[in-house]
Amino acid sequence: MAKLNAFWYAVIIVIALSFVACSKTATPNGSGGTAGSGGRTPGQPGPNDKSGSSDLGTGSGSLSEAGKGQSPETPRSSPLQEVYFGFDSFDLSNDARATLKRNADWLKANQSVRVEIEGHCDDRGTNEYNLALGAKRAQAAKDYLVSLGIPADRLSTISYGEELPVCREQTEDCWQKNRRDRFVVATGRPSS
Amino acid sequence: MKLLSKKIVLTGLLTFAFVAFIRGHFYAQVNTGTIDLTGGRRVPIAIAPLKNLASGDDARGVGEGIADAIANDMRLSGWFRVLDRSAYIEGPQSGITADAINFKNWTTINAESLVKGGFSVQGEDLVVELRLFDVYQGKLLVGKRYTGKVRDFRRIAHRFSDEIINQFTGTPGPFNTRIAYVSNGGGGLKEVYFSHLDGTDKFQVTTNKSINLSPAWSPDGRMLLYTSYGQGRRSLYLYDLTTGRHTLIGEQNGSSIGGRWSPDGQRVAVAFERGGNTDVYILDRSGRTIRRLTEDRGIDVSPSWSPDGNRLAFVSNRSGNPQIYLLDIATGNARRLTFSGSYNTSPDWSPKGDKIAYTGRVSGRFQIFTIPAQGGEPQQLTSGSGDNEDPSWAPDSRFIAFSSNRGGGRYHLYMMRDTGENQQRLTASGGDDTNPSWSPRLE
Repeated sequence: MAKLNAFWYAVIIVIALSFVACSKTATPNGSGGTAGSGGRTPGQPGPNDKSGSSDLGTGSGSLSEAGKGQSPETPRSSPLQEVYFGFDSFDLSNDARATLKRNADWLKANQSVRVEIEGHCDDRGTNEYNLALGAKRAQAAKDYLVSLGIPADRLSTISYGEELPVCREQTEDCWQKNRRDRFVVATGRPSS
Repeated sequence: MKLLSKKIVLTGLLTFAFVAFIRGHFYAQVNTGTIDLTGGRRVPIAIAPLKNLASGDDARGVGEGIADAIANDMRLSGWFRVLDRSAYIEGPQSGITADAINFKNWTTINAESLVKGGFSVQGEDLVVELRLFDVYQGKLLVGKRYTGKVRDFRRIAHRFSDEIINQFTGTPGPFNTRIAYVSNGGGGLKEVYFSHLDGTDKFQVTTNKSINLSPAWSPDGRMLLYTSYGQGRRSLYLYDLTTGRHTLIGEQNGSSIGGRWSPDGQRVAVAFERGGNTDVYILDRSGRTIRRLTEDRGIDVSPSWSPDGNRLAFVSNRSGNPQIYLLDIATGNARRLTFSGSYNTSPDWSPKGDKIAYTGRVSGRFQIFTIPAQGGEPQQLTSGSGDNEDPSWAPDSRFIAFSSNRGGGRYHLYMMRDTGENQQRLTASGGDDTNPSWSPRLE
């Protein structure tokens, strides 16, 4: 490789500056090119977050909680309870369907609420496959809720694969808790 | 904005360190033919601390640091037994050429091979000479002279390690490379890092305090693809080591999973999720979709290119559970490759092309396998009570990196021969280190 001399360093600096000047590229890193274009803290989308195709914010979901060091758990008092799956499965069990019916009833009684359905997996297996499996799980719940009469535009889905577990023990009890769909009420946006 | 510009230019210049300018010249090479290393014999090798050829002190520890790095590489390769430095009779300031070395001092301690060298530091500039000797014949096998920056001294060591392995096996070793991986630092969030195989010169690629996954090197080793939730929804990003910039590519609606460069660096294979279903697509370098490759209702994910760029290995659960399939890009035809077990994922096609490494589930545990690319019997490379996942081939196709939680507790990175022999731990961070991606050879 040729040695870089002062001339080439100058060329590189000019190129680097031109990138900065026209940088509108989205970046996940605060230290990167868009620090000046949005000012949002990455990983903690604010109330005005418009990224992605969904209208639903992710500010109250599992990722946001993990960013604050909280466990992404659904409180027992929540009107929208989680549904659980078998290993490498996205089939809805009878229990899951019963839970989804209760969730649907609450959503019918609370017409302004929109929900993000998070698909999660246990930590066994491959991260990428589990992202795809979590998407299947979230979609299975969405399809069932739609079949129960909930408008699809009130429901968005996101998969977190195995990335945001509620527990980390290597036991079937813990794995079962992590193989779940979680229902997060969208916040930070006026209801329509 | 002015301050910001400065910061980014500075970042750019600093990251130039990763595209390091090390020049090396052979000044002697004797072709001795390759030495037979089969049968598990390890060559006893002595690696002396380098002689300081300049007048100043070695304040940065270059002389010992280079010897330490080469010794560690030789150990990781599994082909050498590094003799303990405390047994060496000659000190570091003794002669470093064949006529100045008393080879009896080395036969006495049963060394068959000897590495000696010298270095001189001037400011930030470093000149290093390294030589490999056959101790019994008292003969120089290979000598190289490197010029570079002091901060890159380990790169120089790894380059010479690869020369030593070339002398013994006829193919350069895999140590002048980097390994990119994901670490959670012990917490719930994951960032992408890369380092040398020995864990030194570690660099944090993402700093967004989110979930970052699946790093994948470009064929020239100058860019990394990774998947990130840094903007809330999951997307594919490209990190340029030369400029320090992160660029979102592909779909921006939170659908991307993974992403691998084609061998010519012109295309990216990725999985996009739509309506809950995941399929494999090919993008151009700017992230524009060129083609959708799978159409079925099952999960299709984790594409890995064949070295000729004509085929992809990928994971599909179209048969009811995840299996490895091979897809002909020209025709779009896919055929199933794995038939043993009910969970086979994360394929990585060897650079040589003959084998595909993957993760398979056996008796409730995950193990690393290889299978011939033309089909056939899988070979299980790992075993035991831990989980072993995410194989990544070395550029020489003789080694595989993977992550394992063997011994209980955290995941760490390991490397092994493609036969499963010589499994060696690489990382020791306080967190879980996963998703290794072995870079191509660096210049």
